Amino acid sequence: MISPCENAGVKPAPLTSKDFRSDLKPIWCPGCGDFGVVTALYRALAAIGRPPHEIAFVSGIGCSSRIPGYTTAYGFNTVHGRALPIAQGIKMAKPGLLVLAAGGDGDGFSIGGGHVPHAIRRNPDITYIVMDNQVYGLTKGQVSPTSARGTKTPTSVYGSLEEPVNPLLYVLAYGCGFVAQGVPADMDGLTKMLEEAIRYPGFSFVNIQSPCVSFGDPENQAKVQKTKMQKLSDLGHDPTNRLRAMELAQQYGTALHTGVYYRNPNPPPTYDSLITQLQAEVSAPKA
Amino acid sequence: MNDLIIGMAGSGGDGIVSAGESLISALSVEGYFAILTKSFGSQIRGGESSCRLRVATSPVLNPGGTLDVAVVLNWEDFLRFGGELPVGDRTIVIYERKTKFTPDTVPLGGVHPAAILAVPFEEMAMKSAGALLAKNNVVLGLLAAWFGLPRTSILEGIRKKFAKKGEAVLAGNERAFAAGVEYALQNPIPAARVLAAARPPTGKVLLTDGNELCARAALFAGCKFFGGYPITPATEIMQHLQRDIWKHGGSLLQAEDEIAGAGAAVGASFAGVKAMTATSGPGFSLKAEMLGLASVTELPLVCVNVQRGGPSTGMPTKREQSDLFAAVFSAHGDTVRPVLAPISVADTFGITVEAFNIAEEYQTPVIVLSDQELAQRKEIVPPIDTTQFRVVERQKPAGDELTDYQRFRLTESGISPLSHPGMQGGNYLAAGIEHDESGAPTANGEIHARMNDKRLHKFAPLQDRRDLFFTEGEPDATIGLISWGSVAGIALEALRRVRAEGIEIKLLVPKLLYPIPEQIYREFFKTLTRCYVIEQSHQGQLHRLIRMWTDVPREFNVLAKSGANPISPDEIVDRIRAMCRPLSPGHRGNAARSDFTRIP
Repeated sequence: MISPCENAGVKPAPLTSKDFRSDLKPIWCPGCGDFGVVTALYRALAAIGRPPHEIAFVSGIGCSSRIPGYTTAYGFNTVHGRALPIAQGIKMAKPGLLVLAAGGDGDGFSIGGGHVPHAIRRNPDITYIVMDNQVYGLTKGQVSPTSARGTKTPTSVYGSLEEPVNPLLYVLAYGCGFVAQGVPADMDGLTKMLEEAIRYPGFSFVNIQSPCVSFGDPENQAKVQKTKMQKLSDLGHDPTNRLRAMELAQQYGTALHTGVYYRNPNPPPTYDSLITQLQAEVSAPKA
Repeated sequence: MNDLIIGMAGSGGDGIVSAGESLISALSVEGYFAILTKSFGSQIRGGESSCRLRVATSPVLNPGGTLDVAVVLNWEDFLRFGGELPVGDRTIVIYERKTKFTPDTVPLGGVHPAAILAVPFEEMAMKSAGALLAKNNVVLGLLAAWFGLPRTSILEGIRKKFAKKGEAVLAGNERAFAAGVEYALQNPIPAARVLAAARPPTGKVLLTDGNELCARAALFAGCKFFGGYPITPATEIMQHLQRDIWKHGGSLLQAEDEIAGAGAAVGASFAGVKAMTATSGPGFSLKAEMLGLASVTELPLVCVNVQRGGPSTGMPTKREQSDLFAAVFSAHGDTVRPVLAPISVADTFGITVEAFNIAEEYQTPVIVLSDQELAQRKEIVPPIDTTQFRVVERQKPAGDELTDYQRFRLTESGISPLSHPGMQGGNYLAAGIEHDESGAPTANGEIHARMNDKRLHKFAPLQDRRDLFFTEGEPDATIGLISWGSVAGIALEALRRVRAEGIEIKLLVPKLLYPIPEQIYREFFKTLTRCYVIEQSHQGQLHRLIRMWTDVPREFNVLAKSGANPISPDEIVDRIRAMCRPLSPGHRGNAARSDFTRIP
């Protein structure tokens, strides 16, 4: 386990974004929203101040799931849809680590959709970042679980016949304690929200509308986002109001809200803290 | 009489299994060796249930074949177990009198047992205890008196069991037991074979099963994380660990599915602790992607597969050895995952520890192929001397290795020191995607070939693991047997019996099933002209796997049988005798009777 005062007495220099940027060159297309996401994350991590070797960053498969490799943290680019189970195993084994999970909308809400509710109900102190672009980009443009009904792609030539998943409502409904949505077009807002999500003591979820420049909807590119986005704070939303958050989340796919939908004002105990407590209780010598 | 096999069957509420448990527990106190095999229909509660108990004055190698004693509380239930409770000409059949069958009409399909006795169990239970539920204790009293089982210890067990149920219930059950004893004394069976007294026990013995020992071994080996999902017949591993793993500073996740259970274990291993998952066939199919991920990221992981009848849901409560191919070829891609199999309940401990050792040493998933028989049968075993087992830790980078750390550095052994989060300077990217020495993703063919070579080459030392092969018999015999898993104990008994008749023969039992150590097989085959592989799968999977890897003797045959019905030592003995006898034209031997599959 990592104790926060491992280097007690030595005052390290404050960390900067650069400390979190790896030497690997991203495979993303020029203009991809994920560049903004990773930059915002570098900044958020620098602000948090945990050194990279105390961070485990887990992802699934997809363009966005390449993200751990572009950081200096311990990265684990796993298999499709399984970032959350693997991240939970890490957190359970070493509760002292800062654990992040990331992936795309297909990874999190299609192939890995079954893992999300269970991560939420266990409530480990993990931040889950979904780069939602409503399309399978890595396989070149198929319909995804968050694509709007009627979306035409090579696997939905006549238009998709299905309603999309609403990631925000999905996690709110299962009781996620921290739910936010950001856009790379608003770097400051995104950075702040990621930092807040990581600081939240429990499972936190950030949906990032990260435009796919090659296969995405022209209506969901950075330029359009800038004109379309509405800050929840500007709307006077109170992020402790879960029911109002769910109402606002219903507009996923029509309006583009950014900011914190919901932050549980009384966070329940985290899974990892309960584990540590149980370990202490059952190993304590009987009086 | 040094060896007695008792089979009992009845309806769920008859307390047959509970009677078997009382018996084995009493026998363990007296210094006997015994195996108790329980078998149920697939109903959760009720339905038919049965148990077979083999007791002996020396170590018992397997549950045995034909019953010496068959207790039938209900014929319909008994017959459902078919070959699991085989009646032969030496069996004494005891059945509940309250039935339409008379000793002349009992439905035994042309078999003529040594004796058939109708006993009024129900009537005695009602008379003595005023409750049908006491029937099983009447059975115990009767068996004790007829076959020389330790009455005092059995009675003590009954007292312990009913102590909390109140004076009246306890007294009733004691009277039921006494009624059984009394009936037996008044109606002696001339044909009864009485069990010899055992040597008094020298110390404590364990009354345990494979699943429990697997869990204990995991904790002994230093396992700190278990991820799993309930599945028959593997669930008890998770249940045992759930009670204790926290005390060892570890944790356990009953995951949302089999994949997540294995995934969390992979995550825990990445985080630097020893991790395990356990399942049975259907779950094993699901875990394949995590086995592949652990192989390519070179992370230690122990995956136990308690085999049951397959394919698909198959026969969840029945024995079979049909997941060998699934284990050996468990995920896509060009790599090796070591596969180990214990050969007895006690051996499950050592094999599980060794699975952790190989996983940690070679940074690989290791598959333990247990089976329903070993996992769930209760057995009296001597205490396990844990000083004989080593515990291996993974190689971690230190000092200079942490400057410009290369996670997948190409080393002479193929093993590269493995860091974990929290270790400063050890930061790297683990990826399912192919990678270079630093961990950076690549699609370069040459790097891929070098990495494939690294991941295969590191297993070379396993070729010399003679300690993972059991062998017995004449080293220069021309006839050989090969067997594995729970069937090994059956083959071993058959081997000892035919050697006692003067037949020269030898047996090889691989506990390391994969990779195949070619040299070890080659040496075993050198003197052989004939060899039989004995296993409980329809295709004879080990037989085929060996042929894939090594040259085999001229006559290399298989005695393979689908699951559920056990292979009996008698069947193997008959085969070996037939093999050693010149066949007259038209002679079909005993083989015609057996249900071994015939494979060209």
